[in-house]
Amino acid sequence: MCGTGFASVSYRIAEKMSRDYARRLSLSPSSSRRDKFCSTDPHFNLLKTSTMERYPGKNSNHLSILEFEPLSVPIRMKKTKYGSLFAILITSLFLPLSDGSAVEETTSAEEVFVHRVLPLFKEKCFSCHGEDRDDVRGQFNMLTRVGILRGGESEDPSVVPGKPEESSLYLAVLWDELEMPPKENDRLSTEQIEYVKRWIAGGAPWPSAQQMKEIRRKTSNKWKVDDGVSVRTSGGLSAEWTNRLYDPKNLWAYQPLWRDEGKVLRSVDENPIDTLIEQRLDELRLVGAPRADRRLLIRRATFDLTGLPPSPTEVEAFVSDADSDQRSFETVLERLLASPHYGEQWGRHWLDVVRYADSSGFANDYERGNAWRYRDYVVRAFNSDKPYDQFVREQIAGDELAAADPEMLIAVGFLRMGPWELTGMEVAKIARQRFLDDVTDAVGQVFLGHMLQCARCHDHKFDPIPTRDYYSMQAVFATTQLTERAAPFLDVENTAGFDEKKYLQQRNQFYNRALQEVNSKRTVEAARKWYADNDKDATSFEEVVAELKTKRPNAKVNVSNVRNIMAKRKVDPALIPPRHVGFEPVDFGMERVARKGVERLKWRLDRYEPIACSVYSGLTPMINSVKAPQRLPANPLKNGELEKTAILGGGDPFSPKEPVPPAILSVVESALEATQSAVELTSEIVGRRKGLADWIASEDNPLTARVMANRIWQWHFGQALAGNPNNFGTTGEKPTHPELLDFLAGRLIASGWSVKALHRLIMTSDAYTRSSEYSEPNLLAERDPLGISYAQFLPRRLEAEEIRDAMLAVSGELIATLGGIPIRPEMNLEAALQPRMVMGTFAEAWQPSPLPEQRHRRSLYALRIRGHRDPFFEVFNAPSPDLSCEARDASTVTPQVFAMFNSEITFDRALAFAHRVAGQVPGEGLSEAAIDQVFRLAFGRVPEDHEMRVCLQHWKTMTARHEKLNFDPPNYPKEVLRNAVEENTGEKFSFVEPLEVYADFVPDLKPSNASPELRGLAEVCLVLLNSNEFIYVY
Amino acid sequence: MMESGRSNLETVASATLRRREFLYGLGASVGALAFQAMLQADEAESSSTKRPPLSGKSGHFPAKAKNCIFLMMEGGPSHIDTFDPKPKLKQLHLQEFVRNGEMKSAMESGKRYFVESPFHFQKAGQSGADISKNFEQLAECVDDICFYRGCQVDSVNHPTAMYQMNTGNRFGGDPAIGSWTTYGLGSANQNLPGFVVLPEVSYPQGGASNWSNGFLPAHYQGTPLRSRGAPILDLSPMKGVGRKHQRANLNLLEFLNTEHNDRHPQHVELSARMEAYELAFRMQMEVPGLLDLDNEGAVTLESYGIGREPTNAFGRKCLLARRLVEQGVRFVQLYAGTWDSHDYIERAHGNLIRQVDRPIAALLKDLKQRDLLESTLVVCCGEFGRSPDNGVRGGTAYGRDHNPHAMTIWLAGGGVKAGHTIGATDETGAEAVECVHHVRDLHVTILRLLGLDDNKLTYFHGGRYKQLSQFGGQAIEELLA
Repeated sequence: MCGTGFASVSYRIAEKMSRDYARRLSLSPSSSRRDKFCSTDPHFNLLKTSTMERYPGKNSNHLSILEFEPLSVPIRMKKTKYGSLFAILITSLFLPLSDGSAVEETTSAEEVFVHRVLPLFKEKCFSCHGEDRDDVRGQFNMLTRVGILRGGESEDPSVVPGKPEESSLYLAVLWDELEMPPKENDRLSTEQIEYVKRWIAGGAPWPSAQQMKEIRRKTSNKWKVDDGVSVRTSGGLSAEWTNRLYDPKNLWAYQPLWRDEGKVLRSVDENPIDTLIEQRLDELRLVGAPRADRRLLIRRATFDLTGLPPSPTEVEAFVSDADSDQRSFETVLERLLASPHYGEQWGRHWLDVVRYADSSGFANDYERGNAWRYRDYVVRAFNSDKPYDQFVREQIAGDELAAADPEMLIAVGFLRMGPWELTGMEVAKIARQRFLDDVTDAVGQVFLGHMLQCARCHDHKFDPIPTRDYYSMQAVFATTQLTERAAPFLDVENTAGFDEKKYLQQRNQFYNRALQEVNSKRTVEAARKWYADNDKDATSFEEVVAELKTKRPNAKVNVSNVRNIMAKRKVDPALIPPRHVGFEPVDFGMERVARKGVERLKWRLDRYEPIACSVYSGLTPMINSVKAPQRLPANPLKNGELEKTAILGGGDPFSPKEPVPPAILSVVESALEATQSAVELTSEIVGRRKGLADWIASEDNPLTARVMANRIWQWHFGQALAGNPNNFGTTGEKPTHPELLDFLAGRLIASGWSVKALHRLIMTSDAYTRSSEYSEPNLLAERDPLGISYAQFLPRRLEAEEIRDAMLAVSGELIATLGGIPIRPEMNLEAALQPRMVMGTFAEAWQPSPLPEQRHRRSLYALRIRGHRDPFFEVFNAPSPDLSCEARDASTVTPQVFAMFNSEITFDRALAFAHRVAGQVPGEGLSEAAIDQVFRLAFGRVPEDHEMRVCLQHWKTMTARHEKLNFDPPNYPKEVLRNAVEENTGEKFSFVEPLEVYADFVPDLKPSNASPELRGLAEVCLVLLNSNEFIYVY
Repeated sequence: MMESGRSNLETVASATLRRREFLYGLGASVGALAFQAMLQADEAESSSTKRPPLSGKSGHFPAKAKNCIFLMMEGGPSHIDTFDPKPKLKQLHLQEFVRNGEMKSAMESGKRYFVESPFHFQKAGQSGADISKNFEQLAECVDDICFYRGCQVDSVNHPTAMYQMNTGNRFGGDPAIGSWTTYGLGSANQNLPGFVVLPEVSYPQGGASNWSNGFLPAHYQGTPLRSRGAPILDLSPMKGVGRKHQRANLNLLEFLNTEHNDRHPQHVELSARMEAYELAFRMQMEVPGLLDLDNEGAVTLESYGIGREPTNAFGRKCLLARRLVEQGVRFVQLYAGTWDSHDYIERAHGNLIRQVDRPIAALLKDLKQRDLLESTLVVCCGEFGRSPDNGVRGGTAYGRDHNPHAMTIWLAGGGVKAGHTIGATDETGAEAVECVHHVRDLHVTILRLLGLDDNKLTYFHGGRYKQLSQFGGQAIEELLA
């Protein structure tokens, strides 16, 4: 046990060093991949276990300290091809199988060449150095020994047989001066470099083809054990790929879940999580930090489960609870898990992964008026503890499960979450393919922890995912069509506030008036002027006008009609007046603004209708451009094309190769062959997604439960057990605690896929409740340099939405209503009015919801427009909704300071906070009671004496300052002037955009309405809201 | 001074790296404890040399250009009407142009006609570069410019093409070229962002994702200096709040944070956050001064066309770009647009050329006169070129549609093969036919000119090392001096 533990210590120091270097040099990536503990599987020979039979991490129980003496061992550091480092500890007696040393004694350089070096050259070198005869880079041809000995343009031999250190080829693969292969992704592993070295040291032999065949025949068994294991898949594009071998440690995610066969988890008193965490702590010779004090613990748990701070009453109730630590904390947890705010917080995590937004992104950035119903569905699912397998099924195939249930039509909104749209500017097939690629990859990342897009253009470079599987899974979605379809509102949905529709209707009227106005300029007179100005022959024009007048003497002649008739008569196009004849530059601009505005409103007005942002199964309709929400067609199975999915050459929709039927990932199927019967998906139009969903949500699918358990762990602890929750493949970080991950996944399934059950288990563990301070920090840093031991709880910065929500909570402004149409908080006014282009015109300004009770709802409900993100959320690392976010960053950058310290919006929160406190405490003037309450609300504690003194003094100073300051009452804009260069004419033009909402806008408490004393207290509050104690959770 | 200090640091770091590679690579047989001791010594050293993420770093290659000014002509300027004359179109004028196949988008529907250029061309400079006569000022600079006619992109639509030009990835979400550059080279001024964007008043299609840090750390995000209102959102506190007022608040904040720090000594991020507040306080001072062009001489202002139309807006941006580069900002991107002239191209492009001609020429001359042109790379391009044909849209008010298969990009400054025109398009300008490269190669070239190797400038994300060119490319050697 100690042996492997020791190995991991060294490895992790090495790993940390490599990251430090990366950071210091900053040219290599600063987030070097972290292969963590279990990936160091040392494959000790003494275990007499074949590496293929084992699953990483399982061996940690097999070694005892008696079998292993750390001080006597030589160390070997191994550099993977991804540049990260890990150590393999080996004894001087027992060499690891994994790098081939076991066969060293008897192998010749010829064998090394045949089994290792030549395949390596083929993979990494030949494409630039020999295969393309017309372009041999550096004139260095490696296809033959002669070429290698001759070298390249430097004219020095690249290999000096017997002397690797003098061979430039060897130095190049070391990346010493010359760096080959040149790409980081292709860099050789230390193991591979070692083979090159051995080959050169052994005289750099290059046997003839016949000899090589013979060597292969005689020795392949000897090498096979070291090559890794083969994996059965549906097959790659080449036999080489199909037959390639995998390092077993990279196949961990396909193995059946670990079961406690060794009865490790025997104690009934101990939380099994702690048993598994303690095991590792023992190995690291560390003990866990003591339990956090109750004040910190309730803050930790409350933010964790609800994203809000605990109220002072809740804090005091817990602190003074006479029950045991464990039992009183359980009481708190049950209260929090029952809170509807739990679903808001955990639903928000889910929305990060699925990339929730209320608009489509790209050129038009059309709003998705009904996306909010999916957002609320997610919140409901968490609050009701919907079994996760059901949650999966509904999001992938709800409409196929129960088309009559609106909830199911809403749930498949998941499939609509990516940025997607089809504009007239685009090739329809490319846009469609983009959706198919997006949804295939999204399902892979979100539910299966696999980056499937890598297999779009070729068989997956690292994972056993052939491109065939990618397109087979894509075939599932080939009959999935996007629609905004009818779905009656459910009783549980919040349908309040729909009267805000009136603002959109006002805007509609504005646009229609503008259209009428500009179009009225397209008169016969204007056309005549055009003929005159351009000195053109108006004869045929006048003929048509005269004809029309004769036909209908009383009607006004419409120039568009005239143009159409002229075109039909094949009049020279140069003699037909332009469509927009009579327009000034400003008219072109205004016409486009209004026309596109009307179009955009069609999507926005859908928001208040019983419509779901959804999908249906059917034929692919012929659409070249989408200009309005697409309703469910009368007969989805009748009109359109039945897409025939095929493997696309290079991912190009115009290069279909072999057709493929809908299917699942073959690697998973073959790994589980023993326990599972073959999964067949239908090729009918309807039911493909249901089949896929059933397979994903199956207990036998080894990925699904692991992926979710890993995410849940990460959202509790701030770091995942397997460090890339969206990537369980070769390039993803390996689990630090594989047994724990499997145990949690197993428990998730066993509890009927109850997420709340997993919360209970995790949050009552010692690991979760530990203090974030460690009594011996240096010892901890030394033995757990990467901070993965869970010896202490890691502090975290509040996430963007939590910061805003917490400010509203302490200021007393937060409106706790659940769900409903998106709200629009006040955005920095300049950002709100920031002009932005959509498809040759302006998008509408951001107008805040008019009433405080509408605005001050949780940030989860803030309208998310892809092209117009709230800068406040953005600076605090709210992820871009374009990519699935597996884990948020928490970087510290200066614009955060401007947003929190300088902005009017934060000061408004501080002022409301001061106002709340002033109203709560008795008496007038500067009171200790007020400061006391400010601390209780913001920090959940009372101030120390000296803090009290300093804060009171500050209040006094700032009050004096504010007595000299006068603030004007807020003056909100009723309209905004838009200046632009008109795209058709290059002329400047401007128009006035009305801001309808401000007519009804009720501001928050403003400095102009507050006394100097209240403003002085607000300054204290502002500082507290900016403090580290407020922003970090321990 | 700074330069040598920087390179020393690098030497130390790389020497230690060598030692480590030695240890790892050769499997040295030292005892584990001894090994750990060595590592710890290095750890200690690394903490003493800890540097902020934006501090200057040296690149992969020696390079003349240290900074980049990127002139983004948003909307797709027409190469046919600016730098790539097509006399053949005179003959073909208004003859029908036929395009077929599945690649057709709705934009290209209807009858289409070839359209001649309404612009007249000249052979300018000693190099005899082709340039529309409307570029009166820029014509004087052509001997400092390398025109490149071989670039192609994938997308026919604005936002995706903008994303591709700016980030290499058509679908957004990746870091912008300015983010990659500052990630690779850091920045010389710690009080300013390393990557500054000077957008038009209205943001381009695709919005702020055009200068996003993508998956790189947030320090490398492009900071738009807005041309109206606060240059950076909330850079200044509320009206009435002066520096003393703010200092008082900062002092209380520091007091509370210090108290808090004492309770959580192991939490290292706390001090970083405290430093951010002090830096913000300094930035509040520095940025407005930088934007204040009053201390530039009247001659300079006049040369950029500042203070008069139609050059004022872009002139200010160009002058500001020079000042930012002087202050050590690594990458400045300027937007001008929109060049999306589907109709009335003579008027539309004519107006835009008038707006940018003088400012760009002044920028090049000013940089040269200050010996900054050698150390600055200037790039000018759109997201795609334009077609030789036009639909019936606008009738005889000729314009051009989008064309991803041909465009003209020009480069000037350090390391560029100035005074040359590289590559060529076919006789109608529909497609590049000579020295044809995908935009990924342009990206590799730009990085190369800045001393960066696209294959080394990588970041691990989403399961692989990602790079600006997406999957690697090659430098366009013809563009390099």
